[in-house]
Order: sequence, then C-alpha cells, then structure tokens
Amino acid sequence: MYFTFFEFFRNLFFRINNQISRMDEMKMKQLAFAAIVLHSSFFILHQKMKKVLLFAFALLSGISMMAQGAHDFKINEVYVLNPADSSASAQYRDEFGEASSWIEIQNMSYSTHDIRGCFLTSDRSVLDKNMSAPDRIAKMSLVPAGDARTSVTAKQRITFFADGNVNRGTLHTNFKLVPGEDIFIALYDGNGVDLLDSITIPASLPAGNGYARNEDGSWSVETAEALTPNAPNKQVEHNKIAEWKSKDPHGIAMAILSMGIVFSCLILLFVFFYIFGWVLNRIAKLNRVKAIRKIHESAQKVVVMAKEGTETRGIEMDNYVAAITLALHEYMGNMHDVESGVLTIQHHQTEWESKEHTLRHVPEIHH
Amino acid sequence: MLLESSIWSFIGEKFADFLTYTGFANVAWANVIMILVGAFFIWLAIKKDFEPLLLIPIGLGIILGNIPFKAAGLEIGLYEDNAVLNIFYQGVKQGWYPPLVFLGIGAMTDFSALIANPKLMLIGAAAQFGIFGAYIIALAMGFEPNQAAGIAIIGGADGPTAIFLSSKLAPNLMGAIAVCAYSYMALVPVIQPFIMRALTTKKEKQIKMATSREVSQTEKILFPIVGLLITTFIVPSGLPLLGMLFFGNLLKESTKTTRLAKTAGSALNDIVVMLLGLTVGCSTQASEFLTLDTILIFVLGACAFMIATASGVLFVKFMNIFLPEGKKINPLIGNAGVSAVPMAARISNQEGLRANPHNFLLLHAMGPNVAGVIGSAVAAGVLLGFLS
Repeated sequence: MYFTFFEFFRNLFFRINNQISRMDEMKMKQLAFAAIVLHSSFFILHQKMKKVLLFAFALLSGISMMAQGAHDFKINEVYVLNPADSSASAQYRDEFGEASSWIEIQNMSYSTHDIRGCFLTSDRSVLDKNMSAPDRIAKMSLVPAGDARTSVTAKQRITFFADGNVNRGTLHTNFKLVPGEDIFIALYDGNGVDLLDSITIPASLPAGNGYARNEDGSWSVETAEALTPNAPNKQVEHNKIAEWKSKDPHGIAMAILSMGIVFSCLILLFVFFYIFGWVLNRIAKLNRVKAIRKIHESAQKVVVMAKEGTETRGIEMDNYVAAITLALHEYMGNMHDVESGVLTIQHHQTEWESKEHTLRHVPEIHH
Repeated sequence: MLLESSIWSFIGEKFADFLTYTGFANVAWANVIMILVGAFFIWLAIKKDFEPLLLIPIGLGIILGNIPFKAAGLEIGLYEDNAVLNIFYQGVKQGWYPPLVFLGIGAMTDFSALIANPKLMLIGAAAQFGIFGAYIIALAMGFEPNQAAGIAIIGGADGPTAIFLSSKLAPNLMGAIAVCAYSYMALVPVIQPFIMRALTTKKEKQIKMATSREVSQTEKILFPIVGLLITTFIVPSGLPLLGMLFFGNLLKESTKTTRLAKTAGSALNDIVVMLLGLTVGCSTQASEFLTLDTILIFVLGACAFMIATASGVLFVKFMNIFLPEGKKINPLIGNAGVSAVPMAARISNQEGLRANPHNFLLLHAMGPNVAGVIGSAVAAGVLLGFLS
C-alpha cells in the first residue's frame, strides 16, 4: 500500500516536472488564459460554485496541456547506418563531420512547436504499461532544453543523430540503431508515458537504405540517394492552384461552387431569422390575445356584479365603483402598447405664459 | 593653407554626395506620374467628396511612396526591412489590418433592416456574382487562378476584404488591387446608377416597399452569434474577417459593452484606416505599380463592379416573380448587394427618389448592403480555402 502511494506521487512529480520544463510559449499563454478566467470567476460565482469550477478548470487545463503541440510530432524518416556500407561517406553528417544513423521528426501542424523535453527511445520495453515514469525515462534519450533548434516551425523537420553520444549536442541521442535486426523507435511526450509515435524498421532493410513515411502514412524503403534529411520526403507536391488551373481553366466550377456556398450561408441565415421572426411575431400575437381575453373576463365579471347588484340591491355603491375602477385599471394597463394615435396633451393657457408677465413695467412718472 | 583647401574639397565632396541622395537626383518620370495620381486622389476626396476618409490617406500615401531616394540602405522605404513604413506595412502584408477594420464595421453596423426582412440577405449573396464573373474574365485574360481570385474580390466592393485576400493569394498585386478596390468604392456613385436605370422599368422603379417591422433586442443580440456560427462553420477560412465583424456587432448590440463598441467603431477603426490607407498608398511605388497588370486590374475591377451591380438588380427582379403583390421588392435596392456601406444604399435611395420623390429606399437598401459585407467576407473565405 505504502509502495503504491509512493510510486503514484513519484510518477506525478516526474510528470509535473517534465511538463514544466518543456512548457513553451503556447502553454504559458494557456496558463495565463486559465489564470484570467479563474480570476474572473472569483467575481462571478458563488463561494461553493467557485471551488467546483476552479477544480474543474484546473483539471481541464491540465488535460489540454498534456495534449497540446507534442502530438503533432511524427517520425518521418529514418536512416540506419551499416558499418559495412561503403557509401556511408556520402550520407548526412553531424556537426563533427561524422556519419551516423539518424531519425527525422516532422512537425505535422501549421504552427510552431518545441520538441524539447520529449523523449526518443529504441528500447521496446517502455511499451510495458506497468512501468513507472522514472523507469521509463531512464531508458529514453531526452531532447534537452536551451537550444533554439528544438523549436520546429510549421510543417518543418528536425533530425537527431542516433550515435549514442549525447555529449555531442542537443541533436544526439543516447542510443544507437543496430542494423540487421528489427529496430524499434519511439517518440514520447515530456511525461515519458504518452506515446507520440513509433515505428519498427524491419531487419530486412538493405544496407545503406532508409525508411520513409509516405503521404498516405504508410512507410517505404528508400535508397540512400532518395533520403531527404531536414527536407520533405520524395512525394508528389499537392498544388491546389495548379489543380484548379488544369481542371477548371475557365473558372466555371469555381463560380458555381463558390456562389453555391455563399448562397448556402446566407440562405441558412435567412431561414433562421425568418423562422425566429415568425415565432416572435406569434408570441407577441398570443400575448395580445391573452391580454384581450383577460380584459374581456374582467368586463364580464363587472357585468355580472352589476347585474347582481341591481337585482339584489344588497351591494353598496362603493363596491360598484371599486369593481369598475379595477376593470378600468386593468384595461388601461394591458392596453398600454396599443396607442390611440391621438395626442392627449392639450394646451392650457397659464399665468406663466402670459405675455403681460414678460413685459417690463414702465415706471410711472409722478409729477 | 593646405589644411584649409582639404577642408573645402571635403565639404564639396560631401555636398556632391548629399546631392546624390536628394529626390531631384533620383527622380524618374514614373515617380512624377504617381505623385500626380496621388494629388488627383486628394483632389477627388476634398473637392468631389469621394470617400475622403480613404482617398486622402491613400492619396498622400501614393505621394509618400513615390518620393525618390537613393537606395543606400537608409531604411526609409516601405519595402526596406526595419523601416518605420515597413513596420506599418506589416499590418497589410500579414493581413491583420482588415480584420481590425471589420471589427469597427461590426461595431458601427445596424443589422436591423436585414433581420426585419431576412429575404434581403439573398440579394447580398447574388451580388457576389461580380466576384466570380470577374474571376472568369481574369482567367480568360491569362491570370493565374490565385491572381484572378485576388483581383476578382474587388467586385465585393470591400477594401479590407480585397487587401486580406490579395495579401494571401497574390501579394505581388496587392498594392494595385487595394488602390483599385478603394478607387471604385469611391466611384460607386458614378458606376452604379446607369446600370440600375438600364435594367429597371419605370413601373419597377415606382415599387413602394412596406415599412419594416420592429426588431427586438433579442434578435439583434442573436444575429452576430448565429451569423458567426453559421458562416464560419461553413467557411472557416473566413474566420478572421467574419469573426471580427460579428464580434464588433455583438459589442454594439449587447448594450453592456458600449464603451468597447464605441472604441472599436471610432478611435481604433480610425487609427487602422489611417495606417491602412497610408501604407496601401505607399505600396504603389512606381516601379511596382506602373505595369500592364495594374491597367488590367483596373479594367477587371470595373467589370467586377458592373457585374455585381447588375446581378444584384437582376436577382431582385427574379425574386419579384415569386413574391405576391404588395410584398415585391424595388429592384433599385439590388445594387446595394455590394458591400460598399453605406454608399451603395445611398445610391439606391437617390435613384428611388429620382423615380418617385416620395419613395425612400435607404432603410430597405441597408439590408442587402450589410448582407453584402457578410457575403463578400464569405466569398473571400471560400476563395482562400480553395486556392491557398
């Protein structure tokens, strides 16, 4: 029991520590946003509700923090150096001019993400779900912070040298890729638990060849000449403009499609506000009918009371007056929106307007 | 003595060097022509009252952008890195001025006329055919699809939308497209009336439209929210423009953010319009602007405006076939389907009064006019989605 708790908190600590260490600008913004919303909620919510929302929001922001950015990184191309490969001298080389195996990772999104804090590994044992985070991390190669090259812009790539020599810099891993056997390569998120991408390169890969991701997500063997470290894999570039030019040279398809879309948008708006306006109109009419009915009922009550009064002569005049006044009050109140169209402000001559008062009195001359 | 002579020769040398930096030493005929064009724009704005808020900054911008100077890395020209004008120009180049202008438009626009009579929205959609008609013509003239789209958007009669789309699809033509869009917007009173008169009969011009119903505050608040959801779910690529337009309108209609709406519609909008107009004007440096493409863009822009006006008017006539007597729409408000707000609506009113001095069409024309703003932003989003 004690061990389980200990393991849990140790894992949690590692996760938090790693998340904070690889927090990029976007996440900082996300946290700032969370802080603003939470701050606003202090003013809005009741004390108890506030606590619930605070907890829920913290949980939600934590979840989204785990998912953001890193999931856009995919292993894109791999080259496994064969020591017996005579063409090794022609391969992509590191900062020290040495050829080694390499792993290219691509940012598949249209925004910049930082790969620092993520882990690369070739150890298949990390797939064991029962393994603790610290144990996993011990079997992985960390992409360190503090190097601007780890920030990968939209659709761009970063290439790591799998030479087992991390002392050579940020772009070097602590493991080597061994040819002649199945090679497992995995990319893990900063917590060491979330698998971002993995690939197994078959042992049958010919010496001096590489393994590259195709446009449709499948993988294929490529010759050394066809490998493209830090550049797009050889594939047909999808060019929208060329496609429109070749398939719609006169612009008719574009005109029909686009006009259709513009009309659809505005027709939907038209339908919504037509129906909404109609519903509001109906509600207003129903309210008017209700008001008239109420007046009618009140009037009938007054008639009945008056009739009873004249028949029995048992009701005092004050009651008649009160009933009629009440009915009139209701009538006037409910009919407020129905204007008679007659101006009721009538001009009355008052002393204030008297021209005589505006004139200066001429002093009388006494002789 | 020797020292003195060397000083004088040094002064003479530096003065001669200074002269090489002056505008007089670097002037070309093209610069002079563009300066005259700028002066003409200012004259139009001040003397003829043609969209002075736009034409004065653009006109002065044209003059500013065509002051000749020696290319010696002084970081003063619009196209030179780190120049102040270049920094201002980033708002145009990166496309963040147009959404800010849309924020202001949203904060100033009253959509009541449209909500009261929602079928007027369809006129705003029909007038967008000006864009796609011009697209077809531009392709026939040999422009690439992305350039054709950038030019055709002039038909939407919406300067910020034209700048937004052309900065994404055809950045090299953006200066000419922007100047063309704003020029034709200013020339709406010249271009539209004769098309409207030609396409309508005397009887149609006399049509009196029923007074619009009152619009509740709930409807006014719902409009930007529903509008945003519908349009951006269908065309997410129009998000920057439509999002800001409806955001501005919600600020206005919520009645709780009057201060923000006021700022967005006045101070902020004025600042952005000033910088936008000035830098767009500056971008018309003679070397970039005085080309055959510019002439073709102006021709295409005129075609786009005329097609848009005609399609709006003709669509109203088409609608009238199905509408019962008493609910028919005056085709003179069809021209307002282009989004030159409120100029196009004013032209409708003016033409209506010309046919019948008691027929005021301004309020009715505001419906298709604001629908045109939405329509052109949607059309820009569609083109961006297809071609970027």
